[in-house]
Amino acid sequence: MKIIKTLALGLTVAAATQMTHAADSGFDLKTVDPEADRMALQKYYKDRFPKAEISDYVNGIYAVDAASREQWVELEEFPPYEFDVEKGEELFNTPFANGKGYADCFENGGIGIRQNYPYWSKEEGTVKTLEQEINECREKNGEKKLRWGKGEIAQVSAYMAWTSRDKVFDIKVPEGDKDAMAAYLEGKKFFYTKRGQLNLSCANCHLQGSNVFIRADLPSPMLGHVTHFPVFRSKWGELGTLHRRYSGCHKDSRSKPLKPQHETFRNLEYFQTYMSNGLVVNGPGARK
Amino acid sequence: MKKTLLIAALACAPTFAAAESFQEAFEMNRAMYGPDHVFTWNGNQYHTNHEEEMEARVKATKANAEDLLAKAMAKNKEVGELGFEWKLTKDILKDAQAAIDAGEYQKALDLAAQAKYHARIGIQQYHYAEKNWHLAVPQ
Repeated sequence: MKIIKTLALGLTVAAATQMTHAADSGFDLKTVDPEADRMALQKYYKDRFPKAEISDYVNGIYAVDAASREQWVELEEFPPYEFDVEKGEELFNTPFANGKGYADCFENGGIGIRQNYPYWSKEEGTVKTLEQEINECREKNGEKKLRWGKGEIAQVSAYMAWTSRDKVFDIKVPEGDKDAMAAYLEGKKFFYTKRGQLNLSCANCHLQGSNVFIRADLPSPMLGHVTHFPVFRSKWGELGTLHRRYSGCHKDSRSKPLKPQHETFRNLEYFQTYMSNGLVVNGPGARK
Repeated sequence: MKKTLLIAALACAPTFAAAESFQEAFEMNRAMYGPDHVFTWNGNQYHTNHEEEMEARVKATKANAEDLLAKAMAKNKEVGELGFEWKLTKDILKDAQAAIDAGEYQKALDLAAQAKYHARIGIQQYHYAEKNWHLAVPQ
């Protein structure tokens, strides 16, 4: 009897060790809980980098790697995005051919609103991003759409982010709206799904791989990822949008990349920005 | 003490004592020895070639090259619809078509086989992800 009891106890422990690796909720529409995800992510980073303040994650890798931060602080003395912000302001204030302008399309004349993006549009049944609405504004006023990744759209977006600095992200996933929750869940699933010839997920580099060398590069933590976009990336030598970076990352896993503003990328932005709720807008930023 | 050790041993047993699956044996031998190696698993002998490499081992004719290319394109369409197409596959398919046009049928067969392999593994990746993506989420 004693042997049977011991065996039973042992088998229970054996079963438990196999199960503890598997998470148990938050992966379908019935159980997904954005706020629980956000708190779990913050806890992950608190455990992983105890010295880093959560509020400092808006600075990406510079929140957790002192040597990189030192270089970045020097770079920020003459921010490489400064001219783009000025150009963005000029573009923002230049009337369209019909006499209207960007200010006519946005709440508060487009000033200090970056923290409200992306948001769930119940009417359209989709996630709306700032860049998407910049181009919609142009089309509505008889102008041609801008290219999504760089150039003028990034400059206008940079100016709008600049006017929103220090405002706090508070992205909502409306309670009881299944479609909004599904969009959030799809973004979450995309982030954690391995894909491409290199079999990498976003999380492999930007969660588990945060501050772990990939050749000479240190991937940034996912917490705070979206707050500083658009960014002037030294590698690009110019300003680019968040979705340009998404396409680049997607390609880096040797996947056929999605186009900027694809619904899947907008859902990913929705998920990632929700994860950064409570952090401030600090775009545009400068990165390596 | 003995009881504790027995419990610990049982706890570890599923991890260490699980029999090596065919897939694991295949992948290990493929990684160590490359194609055309023979290994034994569960008393039987197997080779380390991918199914697409075997498909490319036909007579190098235009018809065979076109046939394998068509299969590769269909498979790549399938993985594309799942959202798991790999980056290089489309260009490999183009190169395979160019090789057919140039009359280089063995080259075309090899390229088509490579593209079909990419697509098949992409599909496997999709099915794996559907079951396991959540394992990386912090709790």
